[in-house]
Amino acid sequence: MAGLLARIAERWNIHREPGFFKKLDHKWTMVIDLDKCNGCGACVTSCYAENNLPVVGKEECGVSRAFSWLRIERYVEGEYPDVKVKFIPVMCQHCSKAPCETGCPVYATYHNQDGLNVQVYNRCVGTFTCATYCTYDVRRFNWRTYKFEQPLDQQLNPDVSVREMGIMEKCTFCIQRIRAAKDKAKDEGKTVEDGDIQTACVQTCPTGAMTFGDLQDADSKVAKLAKSPRRYKLLEELNTDPSVIYLKRVMKEGPSKHG
Amino acid sequence: MDNSILGKFQYVDDLLAAAETCKQSGYAISIISPVPLVHEIEHTFGEGKNPIKYFTGVGAVTGLLFGILFTIITSLLYVLPRAGRPIIAIPPTLLISYETTILFGVLFTLLGFIVLALVPYFKESEYDVEIAIDAFGLRVHGVGEDKFSDIEKVMRENGSSDVKRIEKK
Amino acid sequence: MDRSITYKEATEDISGIITKTGWRYYAILTLMGVSGVSFLFLPWAYQIYAGQGVTGLNAPIFWGLYLVNFIYWVGIAHAGTLISAMLYITHTPWRRAIARGAETMTFFALFLVTLFIFIHMGRPWNFYWTFPYPSQREIWTSFVSPITFDVFAIGTYTTSSIVFLFFGMIPDIASLSHTTTGWRKSLYTFLSFGWRGTDRQWHLQAKACMFFAAFIMPLVVSVHSVVSWDFALSVVPGYAKTIFAPYFVTGALLSGFAGVLLMLSVMREAYPVIKKYVTAYHYDRVTVFVVVLSMIWSYLTLMEVVTGLYANTSQEIEHLKYKLAISPFSYLFALMIFSNSVMPLLYIFKKLRSSFIGRFIIPVFVLVGMWLERFLIVPNSLSRKFLPWMWHDYSPTWVEVSITAGAFFFFISMFMIFIKVFPIIAIFEVKEDIGIPMRKPH
Repeated sequence: MAGLLARIAERWNIHREPGFFKKLDHKWTMVIDLDKCNGCGACVTSCYAENNLPVVGKEECGVSRAFSWLRIERYVEGEYPDVKVKFIPVMCQHCSKAPCETGCPVYATYHNQDGLNVQVYNRCVGTFTCATYCTYDVRRFNWRTYKFEQPLDQQLNPDVSVREMGIMEKCTFCIQRIRAAKDKAKDEGKTVEDGDIQTACVQTCPTGAMTFGDLQDADSKVAKLAKSPRRYKLLEELNTDPSVIYLKRVMKEGPSKHG
Repeated sequence: MDNSILGKFQYVDDLLAAAETCKQSGYAISIISPVPLVHEIEHTFGEGKNPIKYFTGVGAVTGLLFGILFTIITSLLYVLPRAGRPIIAIPPTLLISYETTILFGVLFTLLGFIVLALVPYFKESEYDVEIAIDAFGLRVHGVGEDKFSDIEKVMRENGSSDVKRIEKK
Repeated sequence: MDRSITYKEATEDISGIITKTGWRYYAILTLMGVSGVSFLFLPWAYQIYAGQGVTGLNAPIFWGLYLVNFIYWVGIAHAGTLISAMLYITHTPWRRAIARGAETMTFFALFLVTLFIFIHMGRPWNFYWTFPYPSQREIWTSFVSPITFDVFAIGTYTTSSIVFLFFGMIPDIASLSHTTTGWRKSLYTFLSFGWRGTDRQWHLQAKACMFFAAFIMPLVVSVHSVVSWDFALSVVPGYAKTIFAPYFVTGALLSGFAGVLLMLSVMREAYPVIKKYVTAYHYDRVTVFVVVLSMIWSYLTLMEVVTGLYANTSQEIEHLKYKLAISPFSYLFALMIFSNSVMPLLYIFKKLRSSFIGRFIIPVFVLVGMWLERFLIVPNSLSRKFLPWMWHDYSPTWVEVSITAGAFFFFISMFMIFIKVFPIIAIFEVKEDIGIPMRKPH
């Protein structure tokens, strides 16, 4: 009992610390320059390979159950022949005020000290609340037990778990790579430096449209890019405060209306 | 040794008249009926005590405190920030304690009812089938051997159809 | 209430419903029970085995028919407690003959509510993780989540309803324990818990009942408000509406009263003896409630649409277009308005209130309309969220339709079993209604 009270007192003090919510260890941020993006889809493919995403097939994709954590949205403007096709890669925006986090009754999704919106697979009971509340529709659900047949199971990433049926998942900003980089830096007695961590999509992007880094580090590439006048966030008016920053595409007639 | 007399009545006003006479003579009485006679009895004998309200009050206050402390303490035991909301969030605490107030209030009221109204009667088996249907019973407790005929007379005069004696060892 | 009915007659009539069982009862019960199991539990077992993939849910539409049914059955549950609690506090005499039936509906509807929560979950075998309990994981529940509000609100509601229902039955069970034989006698003797009917017991019973009623009345309002906050606390267009709490409560009461009317009508046909106790007068009273609630509901529906239009964000407009202008939802919306706003207005004509139309047709329309209301809110709003790339439609599969239908069969079969074990009309309250026998009437 005394131990419990001591623990409560200790936690009480932690949570009373000023700036408890804002004082993060890192603030992982991704900057996507839409001017450089050519919509090739290499990032989507690398995400499938890195994070053990199942390929669900034509039928399931037809009913909007494609498993991509990262998708390239295409929007067509105008009538033929005066057509403009625009595209934007959308993944989990790791919102600082994520609507999904309030929905979960079992703390399966919460905010960690790196400023990431994390999903704990083992805690999830599948109430679908997070996915319903998500304003970007980036959460994916394991509708069935997806099997990786021989020899496909040989290409699974050993650092990432294979999720079971009935749980929710989403883009993690390749948290396994963040973990590995932090561990390596700790072993060497250093702190994580800018450029140590690359998510799979950033690493793959042929035009270098995507940049990943710590926004709290003022010298990092993302911190500099985030000051660009072209910066905007997706659905900013909803006040979800996303961690993904888009740089507007500049077109002949000025900046595009839709990015 | 508790000797008592059970008289059965067809009409409630007859029963209340007999009950009043017996009560004035200093006997403990109980009225057994198939329907609640709360208003009629209150009209004749005044309002009875209601100890259940203490159970209800204690239950509601316990529930309120439980709700508030439970939400606060369990949130503190494992501090997990979510969506920039405070760890000790006030609206959910109010809502949860509102529900637990009702829950504990209901359960304590039930407990009070069981303790006060059901448990003391577990072993009392003097109960007539007719009273379960359409007769009203007046039971006079602690009647000595010599007084039996007096009470029976009072009951018969007031219109009792059936009087019987119950002896308990 | 006919004052010429004797107490003996009332007891015999109502215990006759329990003890006298014809072959038709068994035939219907078997049919309903078998349908309930084969339409509800077998598909559910298949779904647990194969995963939520067997439903028609997809990436933006994660809440489908199961959530619709969940809200629907919470709504059906509401009238029971309202009739028994609110009308108890206001000492409304016509409550007595219909309260027990309505409370029984509440009880079984809440059973289905719990069932549908488990059915809609991705991993239902871990359902207990949503309850706060100390465990080796040292983690509790997140109290900011509306789902946790639900756990507490519906848990409290179920507990209180069970307490209220069985507490109210104790005097009847005690009286039945003297008039029945065999296994019933042992069961009733055990369940009567020492009830003798003394003045002290009746006094405490009335007091406790008043406390229960006083607790349950605010609970009724809070439960459906909490259920509406599952939706209203999000930011999804069509969900995030401040009007939802009163809107849902009104809708719940409307559907609940329609359910009570239909249940009473069916019971009266099945057991003509009930016609003595549930009369045209009861229909007259309950239908007045239905008309009033229907008008409040119509106003709130209008406000829901108008506030969406007034907000005039592109998301709200898209959502309203999808709901109001695109087939088949525009037809469903029209049907909903017709069943919930127009049909109940027929009750204004006094003759219709206890006619066949008033007893059967209008309640069925309201029940269908209220189901459609939830359908048009839950999956439909999710079809048009923010990013147009993810817009998608939803159509339920046979598993969802079968479970929805099976719930009704299962509800009916449980109700049928209940009426053979417990008195569906409160014997002692009916006797109170008849009047207390006095030699000198005053």
